[in-house]
Amino acid sequence: MRANRSRAALVALALAALLPGPATGEYGDVVLNRRSEAEGVRPVVFPHWFHRIRFRCKVCHSELGFRMRAGSNVVTMKEIADGKFCGMCHNGQVAWAADRCDLCHSGRAGLRSGIQGGHETLGPGHW
Amino acid sequence: MRAILLAAAIVSMAFPASAQDKGAGKSTYDKTCALCHATGLAGAPKFGNKADWAPRLKVGAAKLYASALKGTANGMPGKGGNLTLSDGDVKAAVDYLVASVGGAKSAATPVAAAAAKPSPAEAPKVASAAPVAVVAAPVALRAAAAAPGAAATGAADPNAFNRLLAAPGKRNAPPAEDGIHDPANPGTHALQPPLTALGGMPALAAGNRVNWVSSLEGGRITPRWDRDDAGAAAVVMDLNIVREVKGSMPDVVYPHKQHTEWLDCSNCHPQIFIPQKGANQISMASIMLGQKCGVCHGKVAFPVSECRLCHSKKKEGAGPAAAVAGARK
Repeated sequence: MRANRSRAALVALALAALLPGPATGEYGDVVLNRRSEAEGVRPVVFPHWFHRIRFRCKVCHSELGFRMRAGSNVVTMKEIADGKFCGMCHNGQVAWAADRCDLCHSGRAGLRSGIQGGHETLGPGHW
Repeated sequence: MRAILLAAAIVSMAFPASAQDKGAGKSTYDKTCALCHATGLAGAPKFGNKADWAPRLKVGAAKLYASALKGTANGMPGKGGNLTLSDGDVKAAVDYLVASVGGAKSAATPVAAAAAKPSPAEAPKVASAAPVAVVAAPVALRAAAAAPGAAATGAADPNAFNRLLAAPGKRNAPPAEDGIHDPANPGTHALQPPLTALGGMPALAAGNRVNWVSSLEGGRITPRWDRDDAGAAAVVMDLNIVREVKGSMPDVVYPHKQHTEWLDCSNCHPQIFIPQKGANQISMASIMLGQKCGVCHGKVAFPVSECRLCHSKKKEGAGPAAAVAGARK
């Protein structure tokens, strides 16, 4: 039974990677799980829509240095604490500070990194 | 026990196509349903979890079968997404899932249930199946579903087959129900649900279901242009680029204005688009692969299904008259 379950979970993962599931977050949500789960925390879910209401694209993709290609930004907690990337705003002044782990690290276990929410174009969106 | 096994063996030998014994339900479950129902993926009720199944068992077997066959607005795809399954396979799998939480035990007596089955081909099964509790109990559930008109009560969304077309109730779902946030995480419930912010904004038929450009133009949202300076204004460049396209689609009008409201020149130039007339080869194929416009459109900006937002300029001389003239030549 246990073997069956873990096998089923693996198949589910493989399938989830191939097909957009029935519910996959809001359009433009980005899952960051390159190292999260390996480090023992939940994957990060970055909601584009939430930030877009408050900041224009240019603020993050020019000032903050986020490249417009999912997977090309490797962000560590050390960098955030040092005030780089997310840490340029998530410092307790512009937005909540990085001590609120569970607000960003809020994804389900086993999520694959990449863009979510029913995207229609591929390429750099997945890696 | 031996007698039961023997009876089951006879049943399965005599009616191999009926596929209604526990084995068929289990094998269908293992192949298809377990993907979600073993782990509770995307909010699916877990195998053997009575709490998950209790509210579902209350609606009755007919609706449960209908949900499994046609899918639900909660994300269950029809036949679990495997349309090659027969209705009987799906129902057997439902029985198997229901049996995992002891739901089948509350069904009617085996004999009565089996007798109620409408299929004449399966009628001989009654005698041999009656003593086999494991086999016959799920049959009771199925008999209820087979009642005339019962299947029609499950009003599934007719567009549920289209994965890109979210049903109205599934759009802009709150974080705990959106399938990627972990509902067990306390922070998930502290996050703003999309609808509280996007609800009143001008609508679009795709993406976030929000027209971001008119939201910004109409002052519905006032996103900062500068991280620190709330008063900084965008450096807007008002220049339309018309791109003539091959084929019958209207030409593309690319507006710098709406793009520079959001973006810096350096976001697109020169990495994505060479700032020189005629230097950029753009095709829908490359866009679909995430190149050129597809770097943003289809991921965060409005998706490629909104053809006419870009292909907006009618071709010179296009129309019925030109077509007729062309045909005469």
